[in-house]
Amino acid sequence: MTIIHFQFLSAILFSLGLYGVLARRSAVLILMSIELMLNAVNINLIGFVAFRGFGQEIQTFGQVLIIFVITIAAAELALAIAIILRIYRNKNSVNVDEMNILKG
Amino acid sequence: MDLFLVNNLIWMLPLICVFAFLIIALFSQYIPTQGAIVSIGSIGIAFLIFIFVLIDFVNGGLLPIHSSFTWIDLGEWQISWGLLIDRISIVMIGLITFVAFLVQIYSVGYMKGDSRFGWYFAVHSLFAAAMLLLVLSDNLLLLYFAWELVGLGSYLLIGFWYEKKSAAEAAKKAFVTTRIGDVGLLIGIIILFKASGTFDISSIIHVAQEGGISNDVIFWSSLLIFLGAMGKSAQFPLHVWLPDAMEGPTPVSALIHAATMVAAGIYLVGRMFPLFELGPGILTIISIVGIVTFILAGAIALVMTDIKRVLAYSTISHLGLMMLSLGSFGAPAAFFHLVIHGFSKALLFLGAGSVMHGMHDQTEVELMGGLRKKMPITSITFLIGTLSLAGIVPLSGFFSKDEILISIWEYNPWFFPVTLFGVFLSSLYMIRLYCLIFLSSARSDYSEKAHESPRIMTYPLIILSVLAVFSGLLAFPSPITEWQGFAAFIDDHHKFHMVPWITAVSIVVAFSGAFLGWVIYGARKIEITAISKPFKFIYQLVSRKFLFDEIYSWIATKIVFTFARWLTVFDRVIVNDTGIDGVGNSTKKSADRLKYFQSGYLYNYSLVMVIGLFLMAIIWWVIE
Repeated sequence: MTIIHFQFLSAILFSLGLYGVLARRSAVLILMSIELMLNAVNINLIGFVAFRGFGQEIQTFGQVLIIFVITIAAAELALAIAIILRIYRNKNSVNVDEMNILKG
Repeated sequence: MDLFLVNNLIWMLPLICVFAFLIIALFSQYIPTQGAIVSIGSIGIAFLIFIFVLIDFVNGGLLPIHSSFTWIDLGEWQISWGLLIDRISIVMIGLITFVAFLVQIYSVGYMKGDSRFGWYFAVHSLFAAAMLLLVLSDNLLLLYFAWELVGLGSYLLIGFWYEKKSAAEAAKKAFVTTRIGDVGLLIGIIILFKASGTFDISSIIHVAQEGGISNDVIFWSSLLIFLGAMGKSAQFPLHVWLPDAMEGPTPVSALIHAATMVAAGIYLVGRMFPLFELGPGILTIISIVGIVTFILAGAIALVMTDIKRVLAYSTISHLGLMMLSLGSFGAPAAFFHLVIHGFSKALLFLGAGSVMHGMHDQTEVELMGGLRKKMPITSITFLIGTLSLAGIVPLSGFFSKDEILISIWEYNPWFFPVTLFGVFLSSLYMIRLYCLIFLSSARSDYSEKAHESPRIMTYPLIILSVLAVFSGLLAFPSPITEWQGFAAFIDDHHKFHMVPWITAVSIVVAFSGAFLGWVIYGARKIEITAISKPFKFIYQLVSRKFLFDEIYSWIATKIVFTFARWLTVFDRVIVNDTGIDGVGNSTKKSADRLKYFQSGYLYNYSLVMVIGLFLMAIIWWVIE
């Protein structure tokens, strides 16, 4: 297993996420795709930390950083889900195409 | 009293009237008498404050009382907001508070039953506040502020019956005409500020006397300030608004257009006199304007048949006399005449109001006559005012006129004969007015049924007539007190003196004018047409007021409006269409194009983001 595998997996996951963000209409699915992209970045980061020959200290730091990112992402997601829930209560739909009242 | 208390009392003078204005304007309907009592009370308190301050001022050895604070601090320049009581302003305050007090009491009777009774008194209070601020202010900026407020008060009161078209037009005319002078005043103040770096009057005069301001600057700024005084004091050729201002209620004419506001110009010239003295030729210009006004207005007053217009032209004429006196180094005499004319003319206007009250608002003297028996108190007090203004010997007007004649003889001897002619005219038209109103027999139904006015109106007349008789005694030094005579009070260098032959000539001229007036209009020994016929052209010219109104309306319609129409084109095409509408239209058009970028679809935005990201990556690659 080398760094290239990690980068490859990360790129595939990121592209899948990007596709999901661009192609999906449901806010929940878009949110999931964004999470996918975020995790692709995480995998990329952990790959670099593990295989670039850093010392023990940096490796530990990298792993702690990843845990922080995951934690913050979870909090962020909770917020986003709450917003989507409010929108659903209001409009009875989570279709992002219908959320266009700010359009000029 | 200690200084702290006095300094605060000075501020109370204008403030109490401002509060009265606010209270009446806002809560008129909740106060008994619709607020008249608040207005009269406040001006009465102001009069009491005046007496306290006067006592303190005299005890303090006539030293100026000054109280100020910094209003705008610009580092290098500081603009203060200060009040100053000195010899001139204390005289003015006394005149203003006293006459305003009497006029407001009189107004209760005169304005009874008017639909805007409360508002009338509110504006009266506002005017009193503005006028007090004007004479108290120690710097030109505050003075200008008060000057405009006074103009506003005058505008509101002239147009008080704005349902009448003539009243609304007269108010506009007064405002616009005085505005010409006010612009001059403002420019003059700015020039002085630029030259001396301060608005403070005494500092400006100090700098000028030290030679810190060049003669040219002094000349132009003095001329412009004098232009402001000409507008407010209705001097030739800006006098046209004052006769029309008689459209306002008569007590207003008495207070504003005879005793106080029109005196503001005289006050301003008196206040700035040390500066005017330094300007080459300024005093000559003031004298010429004064004497032309004195004679022209006197001549017009002789042929007017409207009681208030006669008095209005008489006011203009006497203001001209005061200007002439100022131009002849006779500031004390001018202020003395200002006070005495204020009392006499307020008395005459209030008397005219009383006559109108009894005559169902008729002002035409041709409809009057024979009112002596029907309105005894008005008749006697009016006669006293007439004789005082005509300068008949024991009454107050005689003394002030005498002092003016002395200063004219000393400094402008070549104006002396013309002034005597003006004095003659003045006594002639005043006697004519009295005879036409009160003597002979009734010439219409109105005068048949005329009745005396209520006591609230006659008492102020009686008080004013007592003053018109006795206030001339102020000219003399008192043997028991330290009073050195009015002239010495205003200016230490002027001592009371009389020149016997001038006094004799003045008495003869005034009496001959009065006698001629009585012969023509009272006894009817000479037919009026017999005199006017040989001088038909002059008579026509005078009775059309020297065509001033016609000339001005020609200038306004032909020159000003044509010029304005040209300017309108510039305004419409360049300023409006290209400038203002152009900015709006171009914004709107670009928005019409640009709005399609904002589709409102999330995937559009994210796609643009992704494309942007790729472009950035490519650019980065290329650069690397």
